[in-house]
Amino acid sequence: MELAMQTLSAVIMIGLVMATVLLHVAYLTYFERKILGHMQDRLGPMEVGYHGLLQPIADGLKLFFKEDIIPTGANKIIFSLAPVLSLVTALIAFAVIPFGTGEVSFFGLKFKPYITDINIGILYILAISSIGAYGVLLGGWASNSKYSLLGGLRSAAQMISYELALGLSLVGVLLLAGSLSVLKIGEAQAGGFWNWYAFSLPFPQIVAFVIYIIAAVAETNRLPFDLPEAESELVAGFFTEYSGMRFAFYFLAEYANMIVVSCIGAVVFFGAWHAPFPFLEFSWPSVGIWHIFWFVGKVYFFLFFFIWIRGTLPRLRYDQLMKLGWKIMLPLALANILITASLAYIVNAYM
Amino acid sequence: MAFKSFLKNVFFVEILKGLTLTFRHLFARSVTLQYPKEKRILPAGSRGIMSLLRYADGTERCVGCSLCEIACPSNVIKVISAEEEGQPLKRYAKEYTFDVTRCVFCGFCVEACPVDALAMTPVYEYAVYDKRDLFFDKEKLLAMGDRYFPVQAKKPAYIGSCESELFLLTAKSKGYPTKASEDQPLP
Repeated sequence: MELAMQTLSAVIMIGLVMATVLLHVAYLTYFERKILGHMQDRLGPMEVGYHGLLQPIADGLKLFFKEDIIPTGANKIIFSLAPVLSLVTALIAFAVIPFGTGEVSFFGLKFKPYITDINIGILYILAISSIGAYGVLLGGWASNSKYSLLGGLRSAAQMISYELALGLSLVGVLLLAGSLSVLKIGEAQAGGFWNWYAFSLPFPQIVAFVIYIIAAVAETNRLPFDLPEAESELVAGFFTEYSGMRFAFYFLAEYANMIVVSCIGAVVFFGAWHAPFPFLEFSWPSVGIWHIFWFVGKVYFFLFFFIWIRGTLPRLRYDQLMKLGWKIMLPLALANILITASLAYIVNAYM
Repeated sequence: MAFKSFLKNVFFVEILKGLTLTFRHLFARSVTLQYPKEKRILPAGSRGIMSLLRYADGTERCVGCSLCEIACPSNVIKVISAEEEGQPLKRYAKEYTFDVTRCVFCGFCVEACPVDALAMTPVYEYAVYDKRDLFFDKEKLLAMGDRYFPVQAKKPAYIGSCESELFLLTAKSKGYPTKASEDQPLP
């Protein structure tokens, strides 16, 4: 009975998180178009609903009803599997994202604002997001098109190069927190923004934070690192041959990945669900709701920043991208780990 | 100097400058016109579909000289002139056809007309279901003229028309304005 109740509440929680995430993914496209539009002195979508609010739904319906095209000579199984692989790996990472703390019970079912808390949370997210590169690579290869193949290869090369810097930038925080559990890392940053790992003394991880942001933008293949798709220069890159629902899967995966990296950034560097000042920790109507509020606020700050960057910076050249990744970001991340580790050792041993 | 540029690179000074610029534009007024709902205010003398004009007493101005047909760079105008019944030496356009679909709206026909019988209306929205509806005959062109230039006494002053010549002559006699400003509008 106890097990059945736990399973039921877990299933309901998974459904809730998936629905929330997919809704936010859909509306992220709307926010992106609106913000980019206004940054370029345009209006963005205005026609469908009040100020274009129903535009994502209209887009989704359109993609849903489009003809399902598989190019001749394409590997049918892999061609249809690749976008699913991309989307699933993007969504599955939300299993360990803590949206807040606390517990609510309804009719004997207990709900927590996260699906699960495993003690290797960060490692799990990194591992899962690496599988996402396969979706890109296989999709490009299975399309039987040279543009897709080259786009997929470039995309995979970029994702793998920047994954290193991304993972290494997190290590400093993991050293300080002494845990890979996302929940524990969040709990360690309570009480004001000076305790957040990006700014916390004695070892502020601000360098790691900057490296993380740059690597996250590159990891999600967005401007200024969107060479794989490069809307204005190339055909669409690895999803050149994709259309309809499969294209929508890749599209959703890209935006879900954006939310994932924003969530990790918020948890690891920006104090997860804690308010920036202690006097902002309200307890009415409940502590849990304010935790979710601050978490979502931080995630949306990151998402806005990504869109802002896209509206500002021009695209890098491919050799510049590789040079930045391997010659600047990787040594900096390693130096950050070295300094943090040795300082932490000295402080713990002699003070 | 090298150290200064190094510091600039480390603290992303140039990128932050760009970010503030785009952030300012986020709140700037957008230049978009929601076209079918909002329409642009057209400048005076903007050229849309051509129309035929009348004198104040209602008679047609056109004398059927075909100069507009000759001036037209895309061969849109066709004039068949005839003698008026019982009045030798007085001619008029028996038929006057105008193909809007091929018109380039250059206004050369209006400039060529010696009697100011033509004028460009500001009509630019003329989408129709049947393309043949855009092949205007004399009646349609006159109706356009009646609709958009109802006051027959005052004609639009185009460069080269007798009204603008008159304006220039009066202006010359008064002396040219020394400085173009908003309270001395051009014709």
